[in-house]
Amino acid sequence: MTLTEKLEARIGHPVIEVTDAGIRFRRNRRSRRSFKDLFAGRSRRGRPDEFWPLRGVSFSVLPGEAIGVVGRNGQGKSTLLKLVAEVILPDEGVVRVGAGVAPLIEITGGFVDDLSVRDNVFLTAGLHGMKKSEIEERFDEIIEFAEIGDFLDTPYKHLSSGMRVRIAFAVISRLEEPVILVDEVLAVGDKAFREKCYRRIEELLAGGRTLFFVSHNERDLKRFCTRGLYLDKGALVLDAPIQDVLARYNADYGVKS
Amino acid sequence: MTAALATRPHRSLFERYRQALWLLTKRDLRVRYSTSLLGYFWSILDPLVMAAIYWFVFTQVFDRTVGEQPYIVFLLTALLPWMWFNGAVADSTRAFLREAKLIRSTKIPRTIWVNRLVLSKGIEFVASLPVIAAFAIATGAQLHWEAFWVLLGIALQAVLLVGIGLIVAPLVVFFRDLERAVKLMLRFLFYASPIIYGLSDLPDGLHFWAAFNPLAGIFSLYRAAFFPEQLDWYAIGVGSVVSLAFLAIGLVVFSRVERAVLKEI
Repeated sequence: MTLTEKLEARIGHPVIEVTDAGIRFRRNRRSRRSFKDLFAGRSRRGRPDEFWPLRGVSFSVLPGEAIGVVGRNGQGKSTLLKLVAEVILPDEGVVRVGAGVAPLIEITGGFVDDLSVRDNVFLTAGLHGMKKSEIEERFDEIIEFAEIGDFLDTPYKHLSSGMRVRIAFAVISRLEEPVILVDEVLAVGDKAFREKCYRRIEELLAGGRTLFFVSHNERDLKRFCTRGLYLDKGALVLDAPIQDVLARYNADYGVKS
Repeated sequence: MTAALATRPHRSLFERYRQALWLLTKRDLRVRYSTSLLGYFWSILDPLVMAAIYWFVFTQVFDRTVGEQPYIVFLLTALLPWMWFNGAVADSTRAFLREAKLIRSTKIPRTIWVNRLVLSKGIEFVASLPVIAAFAIATGAQLHWEAFWVLLGIALQAVLLVGIGLIVAPLVVFFRDLERAVKLMLRFLFYASPIIYGLSDLPDGLHFWAAFNPLAGIFSLYRAAFFPEQLDWYAIGVGSVVSLAFLAIGLVVFSRVERAVLKEI
């Protein structure tokens, strides 16, 4: 099969496929595992104080879809996003992501306090798979977007928290990956910058990216998303157009729309 | 800025692994050397002070009956690789805890967090080799063709360190006490390994068992550069098997606990 044939075969195929995925956490973080657990079979490992923030979740996403994840606090929204970002692994089922992901989750996590802004940009973009030449090409754009030109050689720890989020968003949103995941990271920046970020997300969407968006803000969800996933008590309750999902959510939890 | 879906060309997993490993290794070295004025000097000062102490104790205070002449070269040829071993194992106890934020936000293969420590400490070790050369020239120690075996020594030590790191790094996340236990083990291992003495200085009955410490064989490979009679193929053979066993166990343990580690940090 040639490369073009392969690419053609992929069009119309899901870019994200989640099949019966579940993940288990322990309620009591201090309870230690014993060495015996390590080597015991999966079936014998059941513990009474475990709970499943997500279980039996299945859906698939086609390239170019914009999906909003809706649910109350603690119903597994962020966990789902992390599963799709593959920074945690499911205990049950399969999460298959067929394309590169630009995760806007804990975006400032990759930045090192002691290194300069310039070094940090190269480090973070590089860890997400960008080549040095690609980063150099986009470097000016990134700095311009973050409005941080005067602080290029300042150690990261001396930046204000707003600046940190700005530079982190600028780097990750410039990764040019086909899938973007957005958690509620943008709550920090000021209003003008938030609007700028949203415009950037719209541009990316117009460019055919697949978006996964977690938010409590109904207006934002309606602005970006066409399809909604409603999570409640660790299960996927409804997978439908975003209006329907929001209506159901409001009906369930008595928020007037 | 273009709106078209210009995805970057897909690159092989191996290439991405290599790039991420190299980036983090460079970051480690840069952070260490950009925050201190003396940089490189600090990384060789520690073994030099230790070498000076042992040299004083064993050649000036006691009548030395162990090792070979010149003793300072004999000492350094095992002490510098020991610094690599000690540094990499000690740091691997914090491999996941220190980088928790970064691990939570990127999906690079998790073995990199261990391998980058082995690599950056290994680079520091190679960078400290001129110290041995300087002392060898000063004391007139003879370099032999067996110096070639140093490469095998480095390879074996890297295998051993990756294996130990893959076991220690994830387990410390669940058993914080392990961090202290490892420090204690390291102190014990320093005297249990042929560093201040040679493998041939051990009593006959102990030689058989000493070879099960993989460092015994590995250090004999390094020492062969100046002291070919230190080459001990029995110890090297047993040490290779033990090192590979550590790597195999490490890979199994790591793959078993990886998902639990990701949840815990």
